[in-house]
Amino acid sequence: MRPIAANIRGLTLAIAVLFLLTSLGVGYWSVVAADELGADPFNPRLIAAVRDRPRGRIVDRDGRDLAVSARVGDTYQRRYADRSLAQVVGYASFKYGAAGIEGAYQESLIGQDPSDLVGQWRARYLGDHAAPGAVVLGIDPRTQAAAVAALAGRRGAVVALDPRTGLIIASVSLPSYEANLLVDPKQQDIAWGQLNGNAERPLINRVAQGLYPPGSTMKIITGAAALENGVDPNAKIRVDDPFQADRSWGDYFVRSAAHAHGDFDMALAYQRSENIYFAKLGLQLGGAKLAEYAREFGLGTAPELDLAAARGQLSNGGSLDRPTLVADTSFGQGELLVSPLQMALATAIVANHGVRVVPHYATEIRDATGHLLRTIGGGAGDQVIRPETARTLTALLTGAVEAPGAFAFGAKIPGVAVAGKTGTAEVPSGIPDGWFVGFAPADAPTVVVAVIIENAGNGGLDAAPVGGVVLKAALGR
Amino acid sequence: MTRFHPVGRLVELRLLAWVAGFTVAGFVAVVAADAGSFRPAALVVPVIVLAIFAVLHLFLVGIGFRGDQLVLPLAVGLTGIGFVLVQRLAPILLLQQLTWLIIAAGAFVATILVPRDLSVLGRYKYTWALIGLVLLVLPLAPIIGREINGARIWIRFGIGQFEPWEAVKIVLVIFFAGYLDEHREVLGATSRRFGPVPVPPLPYLVPIVLMWFVAMLVMVFEKDLGATLLFFGIFLAMLYLATGELFYTASGLVMLVIGGFIAYHAFGHVAARFDVWLAPFGSDLRFGSGYQLTQGLFSLANAGLLGAGLGAGMPERIPVVWSDFVFDAFTEEVGFAGALALLSLYLVLVYRGMLIALRAPTVFLQLLAAGLSFIVAFQTLVIVGGNAKLIPLTGITLPFVAYGGSSLVTNFMLVALLLRVSDVTARVRNAPH
Repeated sequence: MRPIAANIRGLTLAIAVLFLLTSLGVGYWSVVAADELGADPFNPRLIAAVRDRPRGRIVDRDGRDLAVSARVGDTYQRRYADRSLAQVVGYASFKYGAAGIEGAYQESLIGQDPSDLVGQWRARYLGDHAAPGAVVLGIDPRTQAAAVAALAGRRGAVVALDPRTGLIIASVSLPSYEANLLVDPKQQDIAWGQLNGNAERPLINRVAQGLYPPGSTMKIITGAAALENGVDPNAKIRVDDPFQADRSWGDYFVRSAAHAHGDFDMALAYQRSENIYFAKLGLQLGGAKLAEYAREFGLGTAPELDLAAARGQLSNGGSLDRPTLVADTSFGQGELLVSPLQMALATAIVANHGVRVVPHYATEIRDATGHLLRTIGGGAGDQVIRPETARTLTALLTGAVEAPGAFAFGAKIPGVAVAGKTGTAEVPSGIPDGWFVGFAPADAPTVVVAVIIENAGNGGLDAAPVGGVVLKAALGR
Repeated sequence: MTRFHPVGRLVELRLLAWVAGFTVAGFVAVVAADAGSFRPAALVVPVIVLAIFAVLHLFLVGIGFRGDQLVLPLAVGLTGIGFVLVQRLAPILLLQQLTWLIIAAGAFVATILVPRDLSVLGRYKYTWALIGLVLLVLPLAPIIGREINGARIWIRFGIGQFEPWEAVKIVLVIFFAGYLDEHREVLGATSRRFGPVPVPPLPYLVPIVLMWFVAMLVMVFEKDLGATLLFFGIFLAMLYLATGELFYTASGLVMLVIGGFIAYHAFGHVAARFDVWLAPFGSDLRFGSGYQLTQGLFSLANAGLLGAGLGAGMPERIPVVWSDFVFDAFTEEVGFAGALALLSLYLVLVYRGMLIALRAPTVFLQLLAAGLSFIVAFQTLVIVGGNAKLIPLTGITLPFVAYGGSSLVTNFMLVALLLRVSDVTARVRNAPH
C-alpha cells in the first residue's frame, strides 16, 4: 500500500498546478483582456473617470446639441435634447454604463479620441485629459422631425440615409424612452427597471436591431437576381391564384393578394406586388442563386454600423433548400428576418448604381476648439449588381410608385420621381407589419428611406405615405 | 504540554514585523486616498489588530510552544490584508470585524490549550459526525435559523449571525481523519480489484458515504453551492490521502459532473449560477444576475500589471464586494503582481501545512493536517476561480481576507490545529533526554 506521504505530495502537487492555472486566469483578465474590457461601454470606470469634467457634445449636422453635460453640484450630468433619437444618442450612466453614440464614441467624448495621440499620451502619463471634443452626427433635423411626425406615435421604425455615402440622416425607433431619467441618480433605478420590464422593448434601436419578415420589399432582391441572370423583364409569366409547383406541395399554395388570373410582365408584377410572379421567378432561379443574391444584398449579415446592429437570417438553417421555402422567400415570407436598416441598405445598392455602401451615424469627430480630428465613413464598396441592372430596376420601382394603380402610390411627391416598393408582411402575432422602402429622385438618388410600422395592416396605405413625407423632407421640398 | 517553558520564536517575530509594516502602510494608503489626508485616529484599529497578533505570538512564546513559526505570520498577514480591505470597501463593518477577530483570537488560544492529546480527537469520530450533523441542520431550525440572499445557512445568536458550515468543514476533516486512519488498510487494499476498479469491502465505505450524502442533502436544502462543493472536495481529498486510489477521485469527479447536470435542471438557483458563468455579459444578464460578475471582471481589467493603487480603483461598484469579491477588489488596486503575491501567500501557507502533515508522527495527524491545509487551498481556488470566471461563482469565502465572522473564527481554529500537529511533531522528535 502507498505510504501516506506519497499521497500528501501528490495532493500538494495538484494544488500547486491548480494555483498556477488560476494565476494564469487572473492574468488573462487583468492584463490580456484589460484593454478590451476597459473600453467596454458598460464599464462604469470610463464614465466615472470624467464625472468631475464635462463630456464632449453630441450634435446633429446643423450643430444643434443632442447631448451636453450640465453642472450639478460637484459633478456633471448629461442632458439629452431629442427623445426621438434616444436609441441612437444613447446614455452615459454612472451605474448602467453607456449605450448608443455615448458608448460607441466613448473615448472621443472624454477627450481621448484614438486619432488624438498627444491627448492620449498626456492622459496616460500626466493624468491630464484633453478638453472633450464633439461627435457630429449625420442626422438632418428637418428629415428627423418629418419622420417623427409621419410615424405619429405608431410602433415601428424609420431610417433615411444617403445611398452614395451610407450616412444616416434620420432614424426613429418607437416606442422611445426618456434618456434623461437614466442619468439622474434619483430616478435611474426606477427608470431602468421599467425600461427593461417593458414588453415593447423601448431600449432596442428598431432601425438596426429590430428584426422583421421583409414582406414584398424582398421582391427588389428577387427581381435583381432574375435580371442579373438573364431573365427578360418584358417576358410574360402566367399567374393563376392559388399556385403550387407540383403535387408534392400538398395542401400548400402561394396566394396572390389580388386573387389574380392573367399574364404578368415584371413591371406589372412590381406595380401590383404579385406574389405568384416572384415565387415563379425564384423557383426558376433556384434556392442557391436566390440565397447568394440575398447575402450579397446584406441579408443574414450584420451591417458594419457604428452602433449595434442585428444580423437577421435568410432562413432558420441558413440556406434555401426546399422548393416551398424558395417560393416563400422570393416574395419575402418564408423564414426571412431583416432589420429596417438592412432593407434600406439593400435598396441603396439599387439607388447607388449597384454599389454597396457602409452605413454610419457619426460623420465627424471634432476637438474642443471645433478643429476637425477625423471624418467617419467613406470608401467605395463592392459592386453587387451591374449598373444596367440597377437602372432597369430603378425604372421598374419607379413604376411601382408612379404608374396608375400602383400599390405604392402613397409615396408620390409632386414634381419628383420616386422609386419604391411596399410590403405587407405576415407576422405570427396577427395583424401584418407594413413596409415601404424607396428612394428619390429616381434619376439621381440622394436619399433612401425604409419604413416599418408594426401591426399596421397594410404597407401601401400605412407605410408608403410615411416614406413619401420623409423623402420629401430630405429633398428639402 | 505539561509544563510551560518560554522559548524564543524569532523567525515568527521577524515575520510579524513585516506584517505590521504592510498592514499599517495599507491602512495609511487607504484612509489617505479616501479622505485626501491622513488622520492618526484612523490608526487605532490597525494598532489594536496588530496588538492582538502580538498577544498571540507572546502567548505561544509563553507556553513554550515548539510548533511551526511560519503558519501564524502567514495567517495574520492575510488577516491584516483583510482588515485593510474592510477599511477600503466597507469601513462601517470595521468594528464588527474587529470584534470577530478578538473572538477568533480567543478560539485560537482555546484550540491550542484545550485538547490535551490531539490523538484523542480521532477516537471520538462518531461524536464529531453527530456534532457536524447538528451544526448542519441548525439553520433549518425555526427560531434561530435565518435565510439571507436565498441561502438558509445562518444561525442567529447574541451579537450577530454565524454560518455553522464553516465549523462543519473542520469537524468533517477530523471525522474523516479518524475513520480513515482506522480503516485505510481495508479501503486501500489492492488485493481485490476488478480491472482498474478497486473493490473495497463495501460496509467500510458506508459510514463515510453516508456522512457525505447527508451533508450534501442538507446543503441542497440550504441552497449553498459553495459549502456543498467544499464538502465534496474534502470528501474526495481525504479519500485520496488515505488510500492513494485515483479511482475514487475520478469516480467522484464523474459524480460531480452528473450531480451538477441534475442540479442544473432541478434547481433554479444552480441553473442561474451556471448561466451567469457562461455568459455574464449577455444583454439579458448584464444588469441582472450577471451584474456582480461583470463588475468584478471590469475591476480585474482595471488592474493591469501594477494596479490602480490602494484606494484609487473603483471596486465599490461590485455589489457585496467585501465578502464575495475581495479578490477582484484587491487585484484592481494592487495589480496582477499583487494578486500573484496574495496567491503565493496562500500557496506557502498550504505548502507549510502539507509539510506539517508529512512530518507528523501518526497517520491520524497526517490526515488531519493535510485535510486542514486542503481546506485553505480549496476555498482559495474556488473563490478566486469564481471571481475570475474560471468556474461558476459560489458563496465560499476567501480565507482570512474576506469579511465575515464565522470564517475568521473557524480559520483561526484551523490554523491552531495545524500548529498543534507541528508542536506534537517537534516534541516527539526532540524528546527530552
